[in-house]
Amino acid sequence: MTGKTIWTGGCLCGGVRYEIGSRPAPVTLCHCGQCRRQHSHVGAYTGFPRDAFRMVKDETLAWYQSSDKARRGFCSRCGSGLFWDPIGEPRLDVTAGSLDEPTELHARRHIWVEFKGDYYDIGEDGLPRLTSTEHAALSQSQRSGT
Amino acid sequence: MSTLPGGCLCGTVRFVVTERPLGVVNCHCSQCRRFHGHFGAYITVPRAAVRVESDATLTWYRSSAKAQRGFCGTCGSSLFWQGDGEALVDVAAGSLDQPTGLPTVRHIQVASKPDYYEITDDLEQFPESAPEPP
Repeated sequence: MTGKTIWTGGCLCGGVRYEIGSRPAPVTLCHCGQCRRQHSHVGAYTGFPRDAFRMVKDETLAWYQSSDKARRGFCSRCGSGLFWDPIGEPRLDVTAGSLDEPTELHARRHIWVEFKGDYYDIGEDGLPRLTSTEHAALSQSQRSGT
Repeated sequence: MSTLPGGCLCGTVRFVVTERPLGVVNCHCSQCRRFHGHFGAYITVPRAAVRVESDATLTWYRSSAKAQRGFCGTCGSSLFWQGDGEALVDVAAGSLDQPTGLPTVRHIQVASKPDYYEITDDLEQFPESAPEPP
């Protein structure tokens, strides 16, 4: 860990740029069907408190309401996948791939593994693998502080 | 499982790939990383083998001097990589309906891999592009 205090990121064309003013959480690799369709492979996300987030430029940012609980943000000009926004939650997620390098982050766990696509193996990376049920239980315990 | 149907998250873009490739290639370049939000996973097939059934929201972005990337303008799904004048097109593997019956066969552009993940399988790796599609 270094003295990095601001994490910056954005889309491929530069139409969307953002800053995060606190260290984002380690990266979660999501194998759900929605991430597979939108990112066209595994979703890689890091989360942080909303008040640490500052939008620098959002002229091409578009939102898609992907469920009744969340919306997904992407660039309408270059198509880059950027945000997963759980409505009403105190945190926001950005795609790890949208962060400028070096990210100084590492992958922490795989989630929704029972929905993994058939065309790849997760590999022997030693990271925990949570089903959607196990991930929901973990998220609930984190929200309640237990 | 002779053809490979696919489409975007919202279902507005739908297509069928009529020719099966040998497998999926993972691309770790910085453009794929921004576009997909993580590394890219693609099959490569002849353009004529992609039959587009619905493309009202399909949007193209010129990502370099020699290629365009296609995505859905409604849901943001990242779908295609098309080199100018090339007879082949790359279709993102995650846009294919399950099951695909395809294996992943190699990694390319691994010299550009970012710092937040490791490649832990034993598939073939190329530092930049591979000589030809699988």
